[in-house]
Amino acid sequence: METLVEKENLIGKGEKRIDAYDKVTGKGLYASDFDNQFPNLAHIKAKRSPYAHANIKKLDISKAQALEGVLYILTGNEPGIDWDQFPKAAVLATDRALWAGQAVALVAAETEELAEKAVELIEVEYEVLPHVLNYAEAIKPNPAAVIDPDYETRDQGFQDRPADRATNRVSPNIVGAFYMNSGEVEKRLEDADIIEEGEFWVGKKTASPLECANAICRYDNDGGITMWSNGAGVHGVIKQGICRILGMQESRVRVIQPYMGGSFGSRLNPYVEIMTALMCLKCKRTVRFRFTRKEVFCSAPSNWSCQTKVKIGAKKDGTIIANDYYLCEEIGAALNNTFFSGRLSSSGAAPVYRWAEKGETSNMRMDTYAVATNTVPAAEYRGLGCPEAEFGIECLVNKLADDLGMSPVEIRMKNIIDPGEKDCYGEVITSTGLKKCLQAVADAIKVEEKPVQDMGVWKKGRGVAVGGKQNTPLGRSEAEVWYNSDGTIELFISCDENGMGVTTAMTQIVANEFGVPVSEVKTTKGDTAITPYDNYSASSRTTYNTGNAVLAACHDCINKLKEEIARHFGLHTSKVEIKGKTAYLKGSYVQEVDIPSLFVPVGMFTQGNWGLQKGSPVKGHGLYCPAPIHQWDKNGLSDRVWNWFQYSAAAVEVAVNEETGQVKVLRIASSADTGNPINPKLVEGQIEGGIHMAIGFSTMEEHLYNDRGEMWNCNFSDYRLPGILDMPKNEDVISCINPDPLPDGPYGAKGMAESITIPVGPAIAEAIYQAVGVRVTGYPMTAERILALIKEKKAKEAAE
Amino acid sequence: MYEDKMRFELTVNRRKRVVYVHPSMTLLEVLRDELNLTGTKRGCDDTNCGVCTVLMDGKAVKSCTILIPQAAGHSITTIEGLEGEDGLHPLQQAFIDHFAVQCGYCTPGMILTAKAILDENPQATEDDIREGLHGNLCRCTGYKKIVEAIEAVRDGDYGDYAADWREV
Repeated sequence: METLVEKENLIGKGEKRIDAYDKVTGKGLYASDFDNQFPNLAHIKAKRSPYAHANIKKLDISKAQALEGVLYILTGNEPGIDWDQFPKAAVLATDRALWAGQAVALVAAETEELAEKAVELIEVEYEVLPHVLNYAEAIKPNPAAVIDPDYETRDQGFQDRPADRATNRVSPNIVGAFYMNSGEVEKRLEDADIIEEGEFWVGKKTASPLECANAICRYDNDGGITMWSNGAGVHGVIKQGICRILGMQESRVRVIQPYMGGSFGSRLNPYVEIMTALMCLKCKRTVRFRFTRKEVFCSAPSNWSCQTKVKIGAKKDGTIIANDYYLCEEIGAALNNTFFSGRLSSSGAAPVYRWAEKGETSNMRMDTYAVATNTVPAAEYRGLGCPEAEFGIECLVNKLADDLGMSPVEIRMKNIIDPGEKDCYGEVITSTGLKKCLQAVADAIKVEEKPVQDMGVWKKGRGVAVGGKQNTPLGRSEAEVWYNSDGTIELFISCDENGMGVTTAMTQIVANEFGVPVSEVKTTKGDTAITPYDNYSASSRTTYNTGNAVLAACHDCINKLKEEIARHFGLHTSKVEIKGKTAYLKGSYVQEVDIPSLFVPVGMFTQGNWGLQKGSPVKGHGLYCPAPIHQWDKNGLSDRVWNWFQYSAAAVEVAVNEETGQVKVLRIASSADTGNPINPKLVEGQIEGGIHMAIGFSTMEEHLYNDRGEMWNCNFSDYRLPGILDMPKNEDVISCINPDPLPDGPYGAKGMAESITIPVGPAIAEAIYQAVGVRVTGYPMTAERILALIKEKKAKEAAE
Repeated sequence: MYEDKMRFELTVNRRKRVVYVHPSMTLLEVLRDELNLTGTKRGCDDTNCGVCTVLMDGKAVKSCTILIPQAAGHSITTIEGLEGEDGLHPLQQAFIDHFAVQCGYCTPGMILTAKAILDENPQATEDDIREGLHGNLCRCTGYKKIVEAIEAVRDGDYGDYAADWREV
């Protein structure tokens, strides 16, 4: 149809964040700011095990119970509770504490101080048991501790547990496995001119959003509850979790997500929410549970550490023709594991390289596991294991380039999958801008040139790496759009706003569809009593999933509005177009009409109130679900395992102090394939934030344990997060957007926030090698570790 | 625990306030729980994250480790005290315009620290700004846009800071 009206395109514009005013004035409320609204608030505190592994011989709560002002004490023996249904980090230890930091009792009391006092009065007698804290200890055939002795008898979900092929050992702590095999890996490794292999590790880290996990649960007079929390997924995670686990009616549970002080994946687990709701029901009054920073480290789900063994074979010209890959993730004391098997983490590498000659079927074998330990149960963290899983691969690709005398850029250009090709699962890649990303960062840092050494004991080096991550076709997103009778527009959504700016991007989509400025659209978000269903923001899905639902809701609303207007003027709906408050008509006696004037005012005795009426908005609803995966075959292969893929490349210049081992990132460039960005300024923010987060976890952050198996650096003094002085100066942080439009994304957009962190670590590792000639095999790449490698190298050189 | 309350006087956002609290309470607790100024956030309780930063007599301090007797008699500025009748403080506007805000939890502390930096030296260099912000963590932005926002104020994009906004 010929267009009657030109609308300004708001897509691709750096529209200001709609939540920024609230946040720069301190007016915006976070969950932890709601305390003041409930003067009669009760407080929850936890008694926690100081031992990584111990039998609980005696638990005496009598003294605590006798304390005046104590409202309720919950223990693992509470009748009527099926702990198997609870999030792993929320499970109270009954006979056996499985990690240091696991709760053995929860106290609700009139004040926080009373609750703390009551916790001190709870007496626990422990019989300390041997513990396993890491992969190496846990995966032994006869480990010192078996975390989940019943695992064998549990429903496995995935395939049967195979033997640990790479080490030829079977440990009872292996609790999840995934195996895939494409092409002819063994044969092609024999065909290779050069083989690179290595073992890699990464440490355990915590996402550390600045707002600690917390929830407030109001006891409503109808026996229901209303919750404010900084958890993710008001509908899909929290409300559904509470209803399912606590057996509550859906009509009696309302969950509201105010502003969130960060998540980075870590708040996708409703541990604090479920326990707060449970205590609220037990006390029949409004309660609050706020984790301390120590509890966020020791008792809230943390990211997992990971081991990989990678063997790649290549031809002399740099074509990598096979990859034999092993991965094991250490998932903590996660009983009844139904999530971790290595499949999600290891698949990030699937859409990046061909692992074959062009046109040949991919030669990739993945053998992946999860292993349980006596540490805090694992949970999601930005990238869902991909930074950890791809570190070794990227390190080896860099080594391969060095050994072949090739550029690290050229070797990747040779091997990166092009759009339209299939990945190792057999799935078509519809969108990848990775080559453009790689070229952009390589040019920005000039990685193919050697830096001038002009910093004395600080030696400079440059490195580059790439990363990819799959999007899992998750869940269902809904959106509602209202066209009010005064011509203003409202959007209702339930995706999470962890801080990434999605509320602004979604509002931008609505404004664009209606042809109005962003300021004309009001967005209400994250309240299960008001806003429609969404699962959660995970797998970088929000722009894609919720964005598609928002588009559908706009179209539904506009179509309904057009129908009403067309009826009014005796036209077919195709003769009506809408821009803001004006309808443009074709073939009518009027060409333009003010839409609000069509809404009929209603008095007290007005009757027959059909049609457009003052105060009654025209409502559109949108629903979006990606197509589900096809169950993989016995080799783990399928033509639809994932949905789409996000990519990024990073290049760095670092300086390494030869005498101390310190590493400084001098310059860094990162580029993201975002599809068509809805709001490039928000995307830039994700890139810069992702760089910073990855510099942190690849050079600084790591859980460290004492003899009891308790994390001892569980505070920001000893667990150092990257501050502003750990980052290069502004002109030395370069972000680029190199989009390849996603055909099924809203306006061609896709998610991107997770991919950024993936290549930073391996790029730094390569730059360290270029600077001082040592190859690191894991992160965090702390000064101590780098110095040890430098000394080892010097000793070796002296011996020769 | 807080049975033995004492009277403390302090100036908060240019207004004299009297609170009756136990002397072991921190300035952060008094601001949030007694005065309902929840723009000052709580993140770590040991001065490492900086989200509780307020200005005490114009200097940036971490309110989580200032006891209320230490704050008594002093002048405190919280984020709620920056917006005036004529609109936002230039640093607030610059943080909006430069996308220096994501989750926003560090933002009040960042803006107040930035104010202390520019009040002390309206011509602060990038290095000065970075040095001044080293006690404020941000997990979202990577700091770049925060520095850009402060530099924009320094460079006069929002008027003459030294002449119109500087408080010494």
